[in-house]
Amino acid sequence: MAALSSQFADLVEIKKQLTVIIALCRERGLMHSVKWASELAFALDPLPMNELPPPPPFTEEDAQDLDAYSLAKSFFDLKEYDRAAYFLRGCRSQKAYFLYMYSRYLSGEKKKDDETVDSLGPLEKGQVKNESLRELRVELSKKHKARELDGFGLYLYGVVLRKLDLLKEAIDVFVEATHCLPLHWGAWLELCNLVENKEMLKSMSFPDTWMKDFFLAHIYTEMQMIEEALQKYQSLINVGFSKSTYIISQIAVAYHNIRDIDKALSMFNELREQDPYRIENMDTFSNLLYVRTMKPELSYLAHNLCDIDKYRVETCCVIGNYYSLRSQHEKAALYFQRALKLNPRCLGAWTLMGHEYMEMKNTSAAIQAYRHAIEVNKRDYRAWYGLGQTYEILKMPFYCLYYYRRAHQLRPNDSRMLVALGECYEKLNQLVEATKCYWRAYSVGDVERMALVKLAKLHEQLNESDHPAQCYVIYIKEIFECGELMEQVELSTAFRYLGQYYFKNKQYDDASICAQRCCNYNDAREEGKSLLRQISQVRGQGETSSSDLSLPFIFGPLSAKNTPVRRMSPLNLSSVTP
Amino acid sequence: MASVHESLYFNPMMTNGVVHANVFGVKDWVTPYKITVLMLLDEMTISTSITLLDRRRLNKLILPLLQSPDMTLSQLIKTVEDSCPQLAYTVHLRLQLMADGELKDMEHFFDMLPSPFNETESEAHKTSVVGLFMRHMVLAYNKLSFSQVYKLYTALQQYYQSYERKDSPAAEPAEDTDMELTNTEELGGKMEKEELDLEPSDDEVSTRGPLSQKQAEYFLAQQAYLLKNDENKALDPAALQKELNNMLKFNPDFAEAHYLSYLNSMRVQDIFNSTDSLLHYFDRLILPGGDSKSNGDEGCGRSLRYAALNLAALHCRFGHYQQAELALQEAIRIAQESNDHVCLQHCLSWLYLLEQMKGSDSTLTEHAVKMAVHFCLPYLASLGIQSLVQQGAVGGKTANKLMDALKDTDLLHWKHSLSELIDISIAQKTAIWRMYGKSTMALQQAQVLLSMNSLEPVNLGVQQNNSEAFAVALCHLSELHAEQGLFAAASEILKHLRERFPPHSQHAKLWMLCDQKIQFDRAMNDGKYHMADSLVVGIAALSKTEGLYRKALVLKAQNQTTEAYKVLQRLLLYCEKIKGTEMTIRVMLSLAELHWSSSCHAVALPLLLRSLAVSREYHLQYLASECILHLAFSQLMLGIPEQALNILHMAIEPILAHGALLDKGRAMLLVAKCQIVTASSEPSKQQKTQALEVAVQNLEEAGTYFTKVDCKERVRDIYYLQARLYHSLGKTAERNKCAMLFRQHNQELPSQGVPLITRL
Repeated sequence: MAALSSQFADLVEIKKQLTVIIALCRERGLMHSVKWASELAFALDPLPMNELPPPPPFTEEDAQDLDAYSLAKSFFDLKEYDRAAYFLRGCRSQKAYFLYMYSRYLSGEKKKDDETVDSLGPLEKGQVKNESLRELRVELSKKHKARELDGFGLYLYGVVLRKLDLLKEAIDVFVEATHCLPLHWGAWLELCNLVENKEMLKSMSFPDTWMKDFFLAHIYTEMQMIEEALQKYQSLINVGFSKSTYIISQIAVAYHNIRDIDKALSMFNELREQDPYRIENMDTFSNLLYVRTMKPELSYLAHNLCDIDKYRVETCCVIGNYYSLRSQHEKAALYFQRALKLNPRCLGAWTLMGHEYMEMKNTSAAIQAYRHAIEVNKRDYRAWYGLGQTYEILKMPFYCLYYYRRAHQLRPNDSRMLVALGECYEKLNQLVEATKCYWRAYSVGDVERMALVKLAKLHEQLNESDHPAQCYVIYIKEIFECGELMEQVELSTAFRYLGQYYFKNKQYDDASICAQRCCNYNDAREEGKSLLRQISQVRGQGETSSSDLSLPFIFGPLSAKNTPVRRMSPLNLSSVTP
Repeated sequence: MASVHESLYFNPMMTNGVVHANVFGVKDWVTPYKITVLMLLDEMTISTSITLLDRRRLNKLILPLLQSPDMTLSQLIKTVEDSCPQLAYTVHLRLQLMADGELKDMEHFFDMLPSPFNETESEAHKTSVVGLFMRHMVLAYNKLSFSQVYKLYTALQQYYQSYERKDSPAAEPAEDTDMELTNTEELGGKMEKEELDLEPSDDEVSTRGPLSQKQAEYFLAQQAYLLKNDENKALDPAALQKELNNMLKFNPDFAEAHYLSYLNSMRVQDIFNSTDSLLHYFDRLILPGGDSKSNGDEGCGRSLRYAALNLAALHCRFGHYQQAELALQEAIRIAQESNDHVCLQHCLSWLYLLEQMKGSDSTLTEHAVKMAVHFCLPYLASLGIQSLVQQGAVGGKTANKLMDALKDTDLLHWKHSLSELIDISIAQKTAIWRMYGKSTMALQQAQVLLSMNSLEPVNLGVQQNNSEAFAVALCHLSELHAEQGLFAAASEILKHLRERFPPHSQHAKLWMLCDQKIQFDRAMNDGKYHMADSLVVGIAALSKTEGLYRKALVLKAQNQTTEAYKVLQRLLLYCEKIKGTEMTIRVMLSLAELHWSSSCHAVALPLLLRSLAVSREYHLQYLASECILHLAFSQLMLGIPEQALNILHMAIEPILAHGALLDKGRAMLLVAKCQIVTASSEPSKQQKTQALEVAVQNLEEAGTYFTKVDCKERVRDIYYLQARLYHSLGKTAERNKCAMLFRQHNQELPSQGVPLITRL
């Protein structure tokens, strides 16, 4: 999996290729690809003077079109697309032709956006179309059939097809574009958005270049195949891209996705050090800070970003998070709204806004916000989960089951959904279902460590005596392995139950150990003491051998000896943390 | 670049996170189609030369024109031409002038439009439909921004030109002058054709133009109405879903469309989509807080209650009773918390329904009716009464009480014009009469329902006639016809049912079962047991008990006594558990017949007496006479024919009056047999001959009944008996004739194991 293309051996060659593609893309106004390639190029060592690649060959046609091209390019850079297209209309060279088509496309898109604001009513909005798309498609397909399109032309053709919702054709054209011009990141990126699943990815054939590795890593991140993505990125770093901010940010996002918060935070900090004025991905960073309630850091980040550019979606999200952490939910909602005004398709903001409305007890607004999020992306599990929570708060446990199930479908290995489902079933008094959920939640790796306690309590309710004991034992073991001693209440209940359980089963040694542990907690102290007294009474009556009660607490024997440890279900084997 | 790529999606109608549709009252806007309609209206007011008849036709045309989705110009002109060709021409001319002219022509048109607002003498009153429409249009036009006005004008030009283009090739075929122009477009045309193959719907929709909010609402209301009342006239599920998806794609806030999509998914039994749409609808639905003094939160709570209730209904429709119950509990809890008695009442009705579907008895209904009356919910109240009646009928309440209750509810229905419930009530009467065994009354009631005009205002040419009540009545009708041997009529009715309730629809199971039962009975009569056996599977799929019963019948007919006995015993236990009285009695009768075949006539007697008692208790007259028939036969076999004849008199009358042809034949045959046996003990020869003559006549009658229902075996037996009788009477010619007929029949039929004597 981690094996990279052999071309990575020659970093100088890669650097040269990057330099060439940067120039080509810049000539054609493809600024995002320029940015990506430049970021990578910056991560590599600079080339000596004599190694610099020669400028691309200058053909006769290029020379003819030079003046028209330079004029049009200046218009293009100033976003006067129609004007640019007008002056390029007769040009023959590939470069000018691409710019000509591209300006027509952008002009259509720009007009469409203007129209949308100006449209007559909500139902008409859908009818606003980029009028030039059809014409562009006709012309480009003619050229495509005649095989006159270069890599950039194919890319544009693909974009047009995608905009016309002809996704299958679009994918074919993009793949062709990557074969024709593997260095152009834009085409790869479009493919990332179009490929839906692993099978689809496997069925496609890509050119065997070093770009493919970047693409695969990126798409693995998108598809939540984090392990593979991380491996890819690690090997890319090893090869020599350790300074690339792009890779660092991708790794950070990947860690965020698997909720490895510490690693993600350290990656983001590194990213901030290398690229202090970066705004991209900072909303993810702020989410992490929020989860860890790192107020000062979040505040610093928010102020910093606000200084850099306050009219960016990411900035608004960060500020929203900041206010939310300070429990100023109205303001937080305001900032998320602002983010949405800047980019209505910004998924995270809808969901976050839903959370804020939830905090403000404005359930109907929260529901609407979550629904919008789902509208933008049906696979947003957080929005489904949020909807479920909203209805749970409205005391509709059956109703919210549907939403939790949807969320669970999207993240089958996330314990939070399972615990939520379990709680709902518990409220509906469907205890068997609930136990299934909790057990599964534990099996996939419970984050909040609540599933086991809940499971134990459920088994208690079902009047089973062995199962709760097993659950408590596993629970206690896990807590002690982690070394966290925060959830005292639950620990004390666990010990209290186990003490009684062992006492009933006449395992007095274990019982006394548990009783002693009980004494460490305020709420269980009395019971612990009384249990100890009972034990010594029984022992006094029965056997004369009074075992030393001052036995230091060793947890080993407790679970090793007599406790029936529940047979691990096969589910447990696949306990990959989501 | 990224921002350009993204289309703008922000909803300006959002305040405080909640989207209120129509904050600006943008319900309608000006389109070229509407300008044309405005012209038409204008012309109608100006023009004086329209005849009265034309004017009336035009007036009738106006409302559909205002409500329907935008038409193309050719469609519009054609519709107007049908009413008044002259007016169509003037409108066409005016539009042509405007389209070929300049922007100022359009501006002028709107300036000159007689405003119903200020002119009191205007024909269109300002609050009339037309006046409202004109005011809407003028207002919408005045709101347009500079660029929008120009856009509208170009749209108008295109609208006209597309009509001209469509028109001209027909007028002047093979025109060469603008060949070059079309040539350049040809490639584009080809491409578009290719695209058309890919997504034909897209093109179709785009020609119709965007729907305005009003038009969309009208569309939804119309489709929902059709779905409820005459499903076959509504768009087919796929087309409707496509239309809805199109509507929702660009306006996800249009909550009603989600609800229609839920209904549509229910049509095709798609649980995933229907759940999704239902929940989506309620997520989107924010009830306007201003309609009562309740605040926004209250409105939200209201929708929550009904959301849970609807979810319960959905699960119930799919047969997930446990889920339905959970959802219902939730709805009840929320409704109780907020003191919403109306909602609670609905919940109660559903709760009762659920209990009934799960097969447990409940006393909820009576309570529900009282409460419903208290809260002035006539619909729920009479629905409750109807449920009670049904329960009572099955539970053996006396007929006069039931009919009284139904009459009372009918009063209620007519008072509130609840036509749906009237239908149900009549269908229920049909079913009750049928259950009591009064086929004539059942027939009459079914006819009443079918020939009744619906109370609903006759809308869109739809009568409310695809309800369950109609299906039930028609099924009864077809079964009744089949019983009388009118198989062609029965299959005609079934054909009609198949058309009206296509197999995927909700009530299709009713006629499917009915169809299979009729086929089964025919096959059994005909002695084609293998065919009957193959039908059993189908029946069992639709109704478990019925399937088991028929299975037993087939086994019995094939002389597999032990298996039949096992099945019947199982069925008997089950029926007693679920309190299916009718089926219990029928099973007991079949069991008695099984005992006969092993010549244990004495064993059959207690069974028969028990079934007679039960059927009398539940007023099932027809089954009671059937029991008597069986009893008489047993007595005959036990050698007390006089006694048998005595009790037969009780049964023969109702059977001849209401019974199926087969039963009539069986009764007459039994009478004849008894007469023959008693004749032998007659003292004088003359009396004996007389008795035998009567028996022969009765046999003759039975024979005609059996021939009508194609019961060849029984007909053969009749001939045999007749031949024997004639023989003993010394009528040789008749005897020979019957013997010949018997021989003919006997050659056609394979000999069966059951001897005719031991058969009823």
